[in-house]
Amino acid sequence: MPGPVLRAGAWPAIAGVTGVAAVVGGCGAAFPAAATMLFPICFALLAAAAAFTLDEPASLVVDVTPTGLARRTGIRAVALLAPLTAGALVMLAAALRGLALPWAAAGLALAGNVLLGFAAACVLRTRTGEPGAAAGTAVVLVLMAPSLVPQVARWVRTFPAPGAGGPSSDPVWWIVLTVCVVAIAISISGRGLPRWMSVIP
Amino acid sequence: MTMTLAPARPGAAAGRATFAALAVRETRRFALNPVFLAAAGLTAYTLWIGQRSTVTEIDGANTIAAVFFGGFGMLVAFWLTRSMRASEPVAGVTPTTLPARTAALCATAIVPFGCGCLTLLAFLHFHPISDPVYGAFSLPARIAVLVGQIVVPSLGGPLLGVALGRWVRFPGAPFVLFLILSGWVNLVMALTLARPDSAPVAVLRLFAPFALFTLHSDAGVTAWRGSPWFFLGWQLALCVIAVLVALLRGAEGRLRSRIIRALGIVLAAAVIMLLLAGTGGFTHAVTT
Repeated sequence: MPGPVLRAGAWPAIAGVTGVAAVVGGCGAAFPAAATMLFPICFALLAAAAAFTLDEPASLVVDVTPTGLARRTGIRAVALLAPLTAGALVMLAAALRGLALPWAAAGLALAGNVLLGFAAACVLRTRTGEPGAAAGTAVVLVLMAPSLVPQVARWVRTFPAPGAGGPSSDPVWWIVLTVCVVAIAISISGRGLPRWMSVIP
Repeated sequence: MTMTLAPARPGAAAGRATFAALAVRETRRFALNPVFLAAAGLTAYTLWIGQRSTVTEIDGANTIAAVFFGGFGMLVAFWLTRSMRASEPVAGVTPTTLPARTAALCATAIVPFGCGCLTLLAFLHFHPISDPVYGAFSLPARIAVLVGQIVVPSLGGPLLGVALGRWVRFPGAPFVLFLILSGWVNLVMALTLARPDSAPVAVLRLFAPFALFTLHSDAGVTAWRGSPWFFLGWQLALCVIAVLVALLRGAEGRLRSRIIRALGIVLAAAVIMLLLAGTGGFTHAVTT
């Protein structure tokens, strides 16, 4: 069963977006002056790649098969290894280039980004067969908000900046990780979502 | 002596009426899209909140319209363009051709363009053009910088979204492109900081739909090399390229060959404008 479920995944989208993220992150490692801007973009792209892991064009058929949603989601979660590995390689390259980043916090941010994309896909998957585009867009807009709106950056930071003042990104990511785990658990348990979430844009 | 006027072709008049009706409908859909409304609200809020404290630099404020009306506008235009994909088997057999429908979609860019113009006026109200925050540029050049950073990206983003929607099937294409462009602008800024006086680096910095022309630091305001006027020409050429590439989808016969010929001419003009933008203006970075 895992083989066919994995084979039906949106691999071109996951691999493509992960590849673009790896290039952006590689540029960040190669040009340390731009790293603090390029790494958040890289991580946002990895979150978007994670959002495509649950895309199922044949959902009308697949959703009524005996294989439950939780099992299918668990099998598809294997695809998260692609963005996680790409992110880890980018951080390794940056470390080898001598970048002075808080690596534990950066690792937490990477895990948080990827899990946020996956959780958004899990929640939307209960309403649509291909949640990748909507979940990816939403996650990217949320993750890039501190970079796009200067006022947001005063309150929330989604990437740990080396030696800078301002808020730490760690509390944000611990909260996000907790919320994501709860959201994934609820969405794969088969319970209905609140009515206000019944329409996907 | 009598003079006769040739009657207008009834087909042309009907085509114009159809185009106008389609353009109005698409423009309404664009203007009422929640993401675009959020972009307009965020732009207004950010401009208003930014002027409440003492203004010492404009490097953040002048990117707002490009991000919201250009970036978010690209997302909305992409969705609008793709929203008809499912009904293409039905819409495709109507008398209205695909290029005509694409032209109507391109017309929606008038909405973010108008919003960009309003944003420019508000920006000039909050940050008068005579302020020292604009660096060593002359007054007309400062206007050109602001038009290139606020108005033209607001027009170009949605046009790029229409072109993407016509040619790219991947539904995540607009946000991936948005992030790639953001990354590129940041990368070339880092290069510019390392080599501020290099002409090739200036061309690289301007090889984007958006570029910063000043940097604020403790030493003062640094005006980068490059001509804001020719950069405007480059941006407008990019807008025309986006429209032509979008129209190319579904074009047949003489229309297709005319679009391809026009595309060649505009591409050549864009390259010339980019080179002139990179080599014109100040010959080195000027800090005041």
